Amino acid sequence: MDLLNNLVLGFATAASPYNLLFCFIGVILGTLIGVLPGIGATATIAMLLPITFQLEPVSSLIMLAGIYYGAQYGGSTTAILINMPGESSSAVTAIDGYQMARKGRAGAALSIAAIGSFFAGTVSTILVAVFAPPLTAVALRFGSPEYFSLMIVGLVSSVALAHGSVVKALGMVVLGLLLGLVGTDIYTGTPRFNLGILELSDGLNFVALAVGVFGIAEILRNLENEHDRDVMIKKVTNLWPTRQDWKEMTAPILRGTVIGSALGILPGGGAILASFASYTVEKRISKTPGEFGKGAVAGVAGPESANNAGAQTSFIPMLTLGIPANPVMALMIGAMIIQGIVPGPNVATEQPALFWGIIASMWIGNLMLILLNLPLIGLWVKLLTIPYYMLFPAIIAFCSIGVYSVNSNVFDLYAVAFFGLIGYGLAKLRCEPAPLLLGFVLGPLLEEHLRRAMIMSRGDPMTFLNRPISLGLLLLAAAVLVVVLLPSIRKKRDEVFVED
Amino acid sequence: MLKLFTSLATTAAIALISGSAFAQGYPERSITMVVPFAAGGPTDTVTRLVAESMSKDLGQQIIVENVGGAGGTLGASQVAKAEPDGYTLLLHHIGMATSATLYRKLPYDTLNAFEYVGLVTDVPMTIVAKKDFEPTDLKGLVEYVKANADKITLANAGIGAASHLCGMLFMSEIKTPLTTVPYKGTGPAMTDLLGGQVDLMCDQTTNTTKQIKGGTIKAYGVTSAKRLDALPDLPTVAEAGLPGMQVGIWHGIYAPKGTPAEVTQKLSASLQKALKDPNVVARFAELGTVPSTDAEATPAGLKSKLESEVTRWKPVIEAAGQYAD
Amino acid sequence: MKDLSFSLRDLICGVLFIFIGLFFAIQAYGLELGTALRMGPGYFPFVLAGTLILLGIIVIIQGTQLQHEPMGPIAWRGLLFILPAPILFGLTVRGLGFVPSLFLTGLVAAFASTKMRPGTALLLVGGLTLFSVIVFSYALGLPFRRFGPWLGQ
Repeated sequence: MDLLNNLVLGFATAASPYNLLFCFIGVILGTLIGVLPGIGATATIAMLLPITFQLEPVSSLIMLAGIYYGAQYGGSTTAILINMPGESSSAVTAIDGYQMARKGRAGAALSIAAIGSFFAGTVSTILVAVFAPPLTAVALRFGSPEYFSLMIVGLVSSVALAHGSVVKALGMVVLGLLLGLVGTDIYTGTPRFNLGILELSDGLNFVALAVGVFGIAEILRNLENEHDRDVMIKKVTNLWPTRQDWKEMTAPILRGTVIGSALGILPGGGAILASFASYTVEKRISKTPGEFGKGAVAGVAGPESANNAGAQTSFIPMLTLGIPANPVMALMIGAMIIQGIVPGPNVATEQPALFWGIIASMWIGNLMLILLNLPLIGLWVKLLTIPYYMLFPAIIAFCSIGVYSVNSNVFDLYAVAFFGLIGYGLAKLRCEPAPLLLGFVLGPLLEEHLRRAMIMSRGDPMTFLNRPISLGLLLLAAAVLVVVLLPSIRKKRDEVFVED
Repeated sequence: MLKLFTSLATTAAIALISGSAFAQGYPERSITMVVPFAAGGPTDTVTRLVAESMSKDLGQQIIVENVGGAGGTLGASQVAKAEPDGYTLLLHHIGMATSATLYRKLPYDTLNAFEYVGLVTDVPMTIVAKKDFEPTDLKGLVEYVKANADKITLANAGIGAASHLCGMLFMSEIKTPLTTVPYKGTGPAMTDLLGGQVDLMCDQTTNTTKQIKGGTIKAYGVTSAKRLDALPDLPTVAEAGLPGMQVGIWHGIYAPKGTPAEVTQKLSASLQKALKDPNVVARFAELGTVPSTDAEATPAGLKSKLESEVTRWKPVIEAAGQYAD
Repeated sequence: MKDLSFSLRDLICGVLFIFIGLFFAIQAYGLELGTALRMGPGYFPFVLAGTLILLGIIVIIQGTQLQHEPMGPIAWRGLLFILPAPILFGLTVRGLGFVPSLFLTGLVAAFASTKMRPGTALLLVGGLTLFSVIVFSYALGLPFRRFGPWLGQ
């Protein structure tokens, strides 16, 4: 009954006209900025954070949370429409979402993403409300050995992201891992691979890399032979999912929600894996894995649900422990502190209205987003009818502003240009950018946890096998490896067969 | 001769007048205050609170710009190179002093590249451990740590972070090297401390106060001179027998070298007013810190603090032998 | 039976992997490698770099077995105009200010397309600049100066 009372309090707080207004402003701002290319949720919140400082604490947090979800919806929109993800999670959406858009199914892709996100958001909000404390306890049992083993599962699964050569995809993962290590070694403070450039001492900027290898490279490819083919996409057929789409998306959405909710709870890297993991699962259990990478419905529905579920459950460690699970949560904590609320284990008891108000507003925010976004889909799709040569200067301009605004650093823009060149080159070589991004995100985490686990176990590698969760994850990784390798060997034989 | 003298005198007078006229009119447009860290962090919080209050007093907006990277040195070097007109300022913490030793190739000369406005605040640190850690007080902790040095792990949030500095100081005070476990930022380090994966940490009250109050971690001492209002039961390190551990993460406001003294004086006066703003005082208290006194919030106060801190940390960092570049 | 010919694409790709791998390997070797139990900053990257070199070799070998398709044209004009545009923005936004800097950036990028006519470009980029100023500078209050010191402000 406690829960009921709490939820009533939460909804009473979140649904006050004043807070509803700020929730609405938040989701609109988030959507608008998120939908501008090259700017994802983290950059959006960093840019908009100062706006919220003038408000009441509850309203400002509700607005920030709204910006967060709004930016994620908006971010998937650019991933689908112009192949420009602003976050690691929407990098996966870009794979099949963009292909759907090219086939004239941009509307369907956008609505599938929105519906999946809403369903996942609803389920995971309930999870947060009911199970936040026990889930926190589980998350705290994850030490470095467990994280290392989890990352191994992620890496092994990453091969599924490839729809061309498996070897090249592996190469891209490894290249991504290496790029992720550029910067400073946190254990010794030794600078690595930074070519003596001080700006590189914190590593490469994710947004600059993503904008370069996805977005800029895509623009360059579209400019290759402008006169021969019309760059953009077939005629848009229907805006909404067909009956067939509904059939194909239901199960992936359910699975994506489960995967995302589970991984989102883990502070420090869990949520990053959610959309990748969901994609892997969907591709592996699909009856038509060949469709993936060419516009598979499940390749959009699963990862988008996982990504949104993970986004919600990543609030759990912050709300119950005051610990940021990702950069966005770190920004939220900063906002709370400015508002005079120091997040920690007591927030739920000391400020129940705030705590439950935020939880209730999560659901309200998601509801607003779907109500806002479904009608907007028509508008977004219209954007595609603008001739491409008029669209891309705007893309370049927004990317420049977005990347620059986070650190006010020219170097990040050099990086955009550099990775645009690299990304274009790799695209010409049929190397895909998504595994590269996964590697880039996982690289530092993998090394960090491996080395920390070894330090804490005093150099005993058995630490990975002695701890039950870690052992379980490693066994899972081994199982995935077998499952992943078998069909790819079979596929290889098919390819050779076809070509002879 | 007389002509020359009059013209010299006139020039000097004009220079004087225009100098003070400049300060009279200052600020005529918005001021940029650079924080060399990401938005949302503790230093950013301090900056925004102070900047908001100073904006009201100066009648011009102070725009906070986050120029993060390389332990704060990127933002600092940007301000060092800026026009010395009082429209670009820097709010930096203790890292200003430690980076002088931590970075051997700084693009600016720490002690000669800036004018000083004043000290803002001095955030104390707390020595904390995982919840079920055996020792009950700081004396017991020191004995326990010395006896079990090879088993104990000490977390920090990365080279140059407050927790890293405090950890180095702790080890040098008790003359016992421990296994240090670096993390990428305070969040993950605190997570592992809460989960009991790592034993000890020394971190800013900004990050630890709520956890200590919530009983999720154990605290042994606070590194300030007086007990904190937020944590009245927690003894100071001096009370508990480690006076050398007195240390704080102090924050100061700087301007590029060559900024007129009238401007820094005016800013310093405004800073002193801001530090008495009830809103600022209240928010600082929630963070477990107090604003600087009027004597500290002056150019001279900050100058002497920076100089003494550069000297204090040089041997500690050199002894640890870890550099950030 | 196919000829044993190298696929140009896979050859370049493999060589690129090997080259990048070598770069990282040499750099990592200059760092402290440490041991498997107490790894130095160079250990993990060194292993990865080795793996990348190996994968590069496999890519080249595989390239001899599969049929290959042509590389297609290269967007020289795009490279020439698109890549400098963001850099131009970064270099001028402080000096010239947000408005002129963004206008120039958009203009340079616009000429990457052969379809773009000067009149259209000016109109398009002007509108884009106006939109951005309203959204970023006024509505969101980003700390950009609209017109910078190089313009005598």
